[in-house]
Amino acid sequence: MKLEEYLKDKLYIIILFFISYLLILLMLLAFSVDVSLIIAISIVIFCLLISIIMVDYLRKREFYNNLVSNTKNLDQSYLVLETITKPSFYEGVLLCSVLYDIDKSMCENVNKYREQMNNFKEYIEMWIHEVKIPLATLTLMSHNNKDNFDEKILTQIKRIDDYVEQVLYYVRGENASVDYLIKEVDLNKIIGEVLLRNKDIILRSNIEIIVENLDVKVLTDSKWLEFILNQIISNSIKYKKDRKGAYIKIFAKDDGDKILLTIEDNGIGINEADLPRVFDKSFTGYNGRVRNKSTGMGLFIAKSLSLKLGHKISIDSKVNKYTRVTIIFSKDNYYSVIKD
Amino acid sequence: MKKILVIEDDDSIRDELVELLENANYKALTLNDFKHSLDEILKISPDLILLDINIPYMNGEMLLKELREISSIPVIMVTSRNTEVDEVLSISYGADDYITKPYNPTILLLRINNIFKRLEHNSDVVTYKDLTVNIKKSIILKDDKEILLTKNEMIIFSYLLANKNRIVTRDELMTDLWNNSEYINDNALTVNISRLRSKLKEIGYEDIIETRKGVGYILL
Repeated sequence: MKLEEYLKDKLYIIILFFISYLLILLMLLAFSVDVSLIIAISIVIFCLLISIIMVDYLRKREFYNNLVSNTKNLDQSYLVLETITKPSFYEGVLLCSVLYDIDKSMCENVNKYREQMNNFKEYIEMWIHEVKIPLATLTLMSHNNKDNFDEKILTQIKRIDDYVEQVLYYVRGENASVDYLIKEVDLNKIIGEVLLRNKDIILRSNIEIIVENLDVKVLTDSKWLEFILNQIISNSIKYKKDRKGAYIKIFAKDDGDKILLTIEDNGIGINEADLPRVFDKSFTGYNGRVRNKSTGMGLFIAKSLSLKLGHKISIDSKVNKYTRVTIIFSKDNYYSVIKD
Repeated sequence: MKKILVIEDDDSIRDELVELLENANYKALTLNDFKHSLDEILKISPDLILLDINIPYMNGEMLLKELREISSIPVIMVTSRNTEVDEVLSISYGADDYITKPYNPTILLLRINNIFKRLEHNSDVVTYKDLTVNIKKSIILKDDKEILLTKNEMIIFSYLLANKNRIVTRDELMTDLWNNSEYINDNALTVNISRLRSKLKEIGYEDIIETRKGVGYILL
């Protein structure tokens, strides 16, 4: 609250005061009052004016200054009412009570949408569990009637399943609620699950799988990590080079306080210009446009899940040479102390 | 023949599961009365149970918990709920394995087979005709002659052995190899099989692994 601005705002009082003072002065002169009395009355009147304005200014200054600076400094500025002391003047009390009502109605509004979000999320999760039943049935059917079933059907079932999983993990990744569980997980086992899941397409695409040094345990949610790795490995398969000698190499490295898991392929690689944006939502890039229809969601979801789990994920690539994705797991000393 | 009970309320998937299990030489039974699941299970007394989490009247996890208080029948949870929490909960209630839908049918059969193998204690050493097969040490013994198999050859041989007199597809062998973290390709499988054959030939067992064109292999 600036004094200058405040005084400008109170200009009408000062003007009215001066008009009254002039009238009083005229009256006193008309009654030819003694000059010293006029001076005494003038001093009293001006002291009165200054004190009225100053007392009002000081009363309001503290309240408004707090209100303005706290609003500016708070992360969630709508919580400002909780940080200031109740004002002693009427206008302040009125302002506070109105702000309180606004906050309340805003909260109700936000809650309404939050509830809608949660309902939708629950519905999506339920729907995904339901849709997995016919998918499982179809897989079993194709296995039971191998003679009449084309292998292409299995490929399409797997595609549907992959897309369905993407939705599920998008919902899980975007939501504030915590529905993951961190525990010690064997990397070998998870990599095995992901590779087995993609076995048919890997064999058909003639990609060699090289795994090294995976007898490592990391702290993560195994289902989430499985999804993340599936996105990365699916990309390696999708963007392989159309000639012999394609490989995917998966290896882990213990680096003192962290564990690095790297998935490397010798595929078509990623443009330098596209590289910083591959984790962005809906980013398809050159490869996505030219080679395949890409949704641009896979890596985005993988990144947001990694962030929630506390893993770092990074990518490095050279066009026509290699693409290397590294996930960094930190070792939790607290956890290992508890376990011992 | 081993009895496997399928507890699943979706008709279509249940029928397909039964067919899958029967084709793999198991006796598959289903549960029709979900109201008295526990009593039914005890009456049937199966060798293994495939249990879905979402079943009527009682959640599969609760059913498992109650079952474990009175019986140690092996249970594989087969479910579409693929969260870590569900898996940890199921295992802590005493499930022997946890598989999520949609699963690879070959893998389901492998997991079932693994549980039965675990239950039969001395499964590390198997006999075939007059051969003694030590799976863990990857050795085949005939009289005093010993041949050493590589890890891949042993995985293939023990799978054929466990499915003796049945045609085993290349895909099944491949799945078993990949399931054991041996990510080999088609050519390597062919090479491994021919090497296995020549090793068996050394001890006088030529042609015990027959090729059935377009289908797979069979161990006679």
